[in-house]
Amino acid sequence: MATRPGSPASPRPSVPAPASPRPRRPFRDNPLQVLLGIFALVLALAGMMLLLNRSSQLAPDFLSEFVLYSLSVVDLTMLVGLVFVLARSVVKMLVERKRGLPFARFRAKLVFLLLGMTLIPAVLVLLVGSQLIFNSVDRWFNQPMDEMLDSAQRIASDYYHDRQRQVSDETARLARSLAATDLATSDLRVVRDAVAGSVTDQRLTLVEVYRLAPGADGLPQPVPVVDVASAAAGPVKTRDTSERLAARAASGQPDAWMREPLDNGGELIRAAAVVRKADGPATGVVVGSVQLTGEMAARARRMTKAYESYTQLRVFKPALTGVYLSFFLMVTLMILVSATWMGLYLAKRITRPVQLLAAAAREIGAGHFEHRVERETVDEFGSLVDSFNTMADELEASRRALEQSSADLERKHAEVEDRRRFTEAVLDRVATGVITIGADGRIGILNPAAAKLLGLDAGAAGRPAEDVFGSGELKPLAELASAPYVAGKAWPAQDIVLNRDGREVQLALAATPLHGDSRRLEGRVLVVDDVTPLIRAQKVAAWREVARRLAHEIKNPLTPIQLCAQRLQRQFAAAPAPVRELVDECTGTIVGEVEALKTLVDEFSQFARMPSPRRVPTDVHRLISSTLGLYEGLFAHIRIETLYAVSLPAVRLDPDQIRRVVINLIDNAIEALNQRGLVVVETQHAAAGAIRIIIADDGPGIAPEERDKLFMPYYSTKKRGSGLGLAIVRRIVAEHGGSVEVGANEPRGTRFTIELPCGEGETPAGTEIV
Amino acid sequence: MPGRLLAIVLCAVLAESGGDRGVDVGAVARDGRVYVSSSASEGLMRDLDQPIQAGLSTTITYDADLREEVGIWFDRTIASATVDASVQYDTLTRRYQLSRSVDGRIGDSKVTEDKAEVKRFALGFDRLPLFSTGDLAPNGEYYVRVRVRTRPRVTFFFWPWGRDAASGIARFTFIP
Repeated sequence: MATRPGSPASPRPSVPAPASPRPRRPFRDNPLQVLLGIFALVLALAGMMLLLNRSSQLAPDFLSEFVLYSLSVVDLTMLVGLVFVLARSVVKMLVERKRGLPFARFRAKLVFLLLGMTLIPAVLVLLVGSQLIFNSVDRWFNQPMDEMLDSAQRIASDYYHDRQRQVSDETARLARSLAATDLATSDLRVVRDAVAGSVTDQRLTLVEVYRLAPGADGLPQPVPVVDVASAAAGPVKTRDTSERLAARAASGQPDAWMREPLDNGGELIRAAAVVRKADGPATGVVVGSVQLTGEMAARARRMTKAYESYTQLRVFKPALTGVYLSFFLMVTLMILVSATWMGLYLAKRITRPVQLLAAAAREIGAGHFEHRVERETVDEFGSLVDSFNTMADELEASRRALEQSSADLERKHAEVEDRRRFTEAVLDRVATGVITIGADGRIGILNPAAAKLLGLDAGAAGRPAEDVFGSGELKPLAELASAPYVAGKAWPAQDIVLNRDGREVQLALAATPLHGDSRRLEGRVLVVDDVTPLIRAQKVAAWREVARRLAHEIKNPLTPIQLCAQRLQRQFAAAPAPVRELVDECTGTIVGEVEALKTLVDEFSQFARMPSPRRVPTDVHRLISSTLGLYEGLFAHIRIETLYAVSLPAVRLDPDQIRRVVINLIDNAIEALNQRGLVVVETQHAAAGAIRIIIADDGPGIAPEERDKLFMPYYSTKKRGSGLGLAIVRRIVAEHGGSVEVGANEPRGTRFTIELPCGEGETPAGTEIV
Repeated sequence: MPGRLLAIVLCAVLAESGGDRGVDVGAVARDGRVYVSSSASEGLMRDLDQPIQAGLSTTITYDADLREEVGIWFDRTIASATVDASVQYDTLTRRYQLSRSVDGRIGDSKVTEDKAEVKRFALGFDRLPLFSTGDLAPNGEYYVRVRVRTRPRVTFFFWPWGRDAASGIARFTFIP
């Protein structure tokens, strides 16, 4: 069982986890490897048993050299391995206990319990078994057996020694008997007779006589002279061995005797004796042999072989004991290693699923909901793992739903936020004032246009509408904000007039209810529109109509009146002087007034029939300069100065109409200066895409309350004038898409500001045609 | 793996600790040969007495190395020779068959009933011309190291690693 991310242990759908390399399974969790291990163990045990069974047939040397070495190495390896595994397990358990892993204490107890349960009997068996081995080995090499084999070997050895001494003595006697015989020249019969008696008396089985002759190397070499053999001797061995023995004796080596096995299973015990003359020099060698029968020799050999085997075995007694003890120790170590491994395996088997579940719970607690525990068993732990994985699946699904909801909410929030930003942008830019008032009567939104129109600051937002609009002018707003709401019935629109810097501002108010989801009134929206320009335009249109009708109605009778007056003047040219003077004065007055009326009517007519401007790219500076040239030298004490902006773009305008505007304003300024003063004509860059023409004087100025009326038709502060000049100025400027404002000049005087749009692609100043 | 390594180290240490028996070694350079004499301790013979008397063919091997000391590095082995002394006891005739070989060539062989001679024969050799002086530098400092091992091995009880190992060295100055 192992933890895995996103395991398909459960049939319910699960989130595919990122692919990760499958960890190598430990040996103990691989059934095939465990089976192979057990098989290898059984095989090793079988091999050991086989070796143990055949140990009696193996050479002690092999046992002590190879087997003991191998067993010792294996024992040492297992011992070191066992100590290592135990030490590792102890350290691991201590670490696990320190880290507070679940079941660590239980695992430690289980392992030590199993180890103890195995260790105590195993050690006891080892001790008892070792003692048994010691006793058994000691029993093999017990005292009676030692004495019996030693005695048997001594019997055989003594027998051989006796026979060897007999042969040596008899051979020496024969050599002495031949001392006076010249072996090189004597009759062979004499020699044969001298030695035949020993054979005849069966003291020897075979007698061979050699004479010594100088060899090639200067050393004496035995040369066969005569040999006498018993009839019972049968086919006796070759002469080679007796010649070698004779040579050894001739060379002076002591202890010249030997054994020679025969083909019939018997043996020859041979001895050599040197034949010496009385004065000392060696003349020959006698080799005497006694034949031992096959049965006798075999018995002696068997006794010797048994003795040697026994003593050799006793030599290897420590090694053999070591071999059997090593076997025993190996089995004990195998049991201990197996018990340790089994203890660890069982402990792991029992505690691992719980540890894995605990680890998986921690992972899920840390937010890794895709973590799963792989089921590997079909027992209760497997069911527990299934339940855990099911819980993890459900947790993951819930978390995914939550994440989806969160994502939806975030998306909606983003949409709302976008909408809010869009609304705020619109409200910031729109010229219409918008005010929202909540159900609690407090101002929610107060856009800049509303603040500007109503003369409020941004801090008004959030305050009660009643407090903000409590002043006299704004009272209608307060009433509208608190007006009771009747379902399905809108509040009536209102117009109010505010005074802003001496100007009257006409505002149109409208209120709209704000409904919530339950159609419940949650507030209201007040919309404030500045209708002053509209009303002004309406007034201008009305005046234009009046002017047109007036011009039409008045102009027609003026010419007959003038003609009649001139006729009367001609008729009374011959009349008496008092009459003529009266007529001239009256007709002159009539003609003059008619002329004045004509002029007035022309102006009215011109105001009413103002033609559309014919716009051409125009250099404003040149236009102004040429216009100002008309005033040169006309007024001695009036100074006209220009203050031009740098690089003023060319503007598409009607030069004649704008010239008229400039003339009209300069005329007004000069008139206001009363023949003395300063008029400044200034040009400026206005906001993007506009220029500004300012005409200022340092005259007495105009009262603020009269400034707005100046542009109304038929309004004049002068004694003489139609009152249409500034109305025409405003009309021309308006026809050009611009605006004209009047204000106070600093430090004194009046200042008219004309703002004209210049648009993109205007030809720069200096390149203008006009 | 660590367990196996520990076992090997343990074996090596224990094996080395068994080599505390001394071998008297003598070396003389003369007539173009290096004559080596060696004599093992009596203790070795005591250990070998039992296997010899049991009729086991017992061999005492003397591994002789002619070496030259090299500063801080391993000493250089100039030549090596092996002398085997074999003893075979015939329990029936109570005689010892002795033979000695140098580098596998039989050099001496005898039969004796004298145990003291067997001891002398087995425990050493006297003035064997084992090495040539051809590779030696005049006035050079050399030494002959002789290591002794036996077969059958003389082992500790329950511990098969060498009780029979012994060694000794003899230094000499080669003067041509």
